Amino acid sequence: MEGTELSNLSLLFIIVFVFIPVSLSYWFSLNLSKTIIWSSIRGVVQLFIIGYVLTFLFDLPNWQGIGLWVAVMVVVATINAARKGKNIPFVFPVVFIIIALTEVFIISLWLLFGYIPFSAEKVIPISGMIIGNSMIAIGLAIERLQSQFREEKGRVLAALSLGATPQQASLQIVQKTLKAAMIPNIDGLKTIGLVQLPGMMTGLILGGVSPMDAVRYQIVISLSIFVSVAVCAMMVTILLYRFYFNDKMQLININS
Amino acid sequence: MDKNQSIITCKDVSTDRLKDISFELRRKQIMTIVGPSGAGKSSLLFLLNRLEEPISGKIYYLGQNIKDIPVTQLRCEIGMVFQSAYLFDGTAEENIQYGPKMSGKLEDCNVDRLLDLVDLPKSFKMRHVTSLSGGEQQRVAIARTFANKPSVLLLDEATSALDIKTTEHIEELLIRLRDEKEISILMVTHNLKQAERMGSQTLYMEEGKLIERGMTTRMFAHPETNHFEKFLKE
Ligand SMILES: Nc1ncnc2c1ncn2[C@@H]1O[C@H](COP(=O)(O)OP(=O)(O)OP(=O)(O)O)[C@@H](O)[C@H]1O
Ligand SMILES: [Mg+2]
Repeated sequence: MEGTELSNLSLLFIIVFVFIPVSLSYWFSLNLSKTIIWSSIRGVVQLFIIGYVLTFLFDLPNWQGIGLWVAVMVVVATINAARKGKNIPFVFPVVFIIIALTEVFIISLWLLFGYIPFSAEKVIPISGMIIGNSMIAIGLAIERLQSQFREEKGRVLAALSLGATPQQASLQIVQKTLKAAMIPNIDGLKTIGLVQLPGMMTGLILGGVSPMDAVRYQIVISLSIFVSVAVCAMMVTILLYRFYFNDKMQLININS
Repeated sequence: MDKNQSIITCKDVSTDRLKDISFELRRKQIMTIVGPSGAGKSSLLFLLNRLEEPISGKIYYLGQNIKDIPVTQLRCEIGMVFQSAYLFDGTAEENIQYGPKMSGKLEDCNVDRLLDLVDLPKSFKMRHVTSLSGGEQQRVAIARTFANKPSVLLLDEATSALDIKTTEHIEELLIRLRDEKEISILMVTHNLKQAERMGSQTLYMEEGKLIERGMTTRMFAHPETNHFEKFLKE
């Protein structure tokens, strides 16, 4: 990939610009200066570390580098998404398996269709997008499932008391949860490219790839992410709602 | 059918909120439960509908341990109306059809007749439940429970949110249902006048315990325990 390269000096220029919001904050007494400086430094440091880590991983044999980093990403994503549902039994293993399966499934498809070769430079960034979006969708689903069961407890009890099975009694909750988990992605797809070029496409175009080629890649990645989000949201919701009921069809695990 | 047949029998039932509850509900009997807030009245009804499980003790329905009856079947036969109406999003008709639909008996469900039973006009069928008044919602909730054709009705302060006229209507309805359909009714109420009007038997509960029980007329005229006497005076 032929690309523009940024020198350390030119990086320094952009960092200087951070002082614009800092002085604005100072001027309007927003008390944000510390936060702005701190999060900027944090972001820069974090990215540099990732840069070094990626360089190191890309130097490893492909299967080692990919295996190592994908494992780290799946674990971090699991912890991040599942901690929202600590009171639900088995939430960590369930979420881990769902994210891992989705990742393996999508990447296998990409490799099978020859979209990318099995190299760390390609597989790791794509995996990051798949896993990151899966994590967000699962986190949203768990959060919504929890709040729905809390808010709708009375109606679920009423449904059970009328002879409904747990599956029948939680139908509306499951539907609302799925919608909530998928809406951000669906909305994103609707306006894709109109408001903001997707990050990956921007990167490819800046890197010198022609817009049409960038679009092709973007279609594949956007749809892959969409499929991951939908599959993850469905699996997590359908697997986890059952833990709110025992085998006597009684409601349990509501209080967080 | 034996008029004195026991429909529900509770034997030494305890949970973390209830202690050693024993009583018997007979065919065509209306029994009221009274007691201060937090006494465990709602908790007791939850056990009978098997929405919760006793830690010890046994509950029988028609002589059969309720653990040996399929849960959904038991819940249809021992219908429950909650302290709040808890109607589902949708029309009154959809709400009333819910139970029969879940058990695959939708064709037996006559919504017009059920609405008529709770003194609501047919036109209410298509009304969205959010457009109904509190009293109308409570009546739809009663019709919804009744759509399952229960032989026992558990009512948790079903009339506490209603005005005197609607309350009287529902009381008449319950007595009619008892007479016509031969159902047994166990009703929790905060309204002592209502307990006196409705219940042939009364249970008085306090702090998870059954303090006093007996014929309503006797209990209200000559309370046996200081607890109940004090409760009556308040
Ligand atoms: N879901 C719950 N989890 C834990 N404790 C509960 C729960 N529901 C009720 N309790 C407690 O159990 C006790 C009995 O509650 P219950 O609702 O059965 O009382 P009640 O007699 O119906 O009161 P009220 O007249 O106010 O409806 C109360 O101390 C209450 O705080
Ligand atoms: Mg109560």
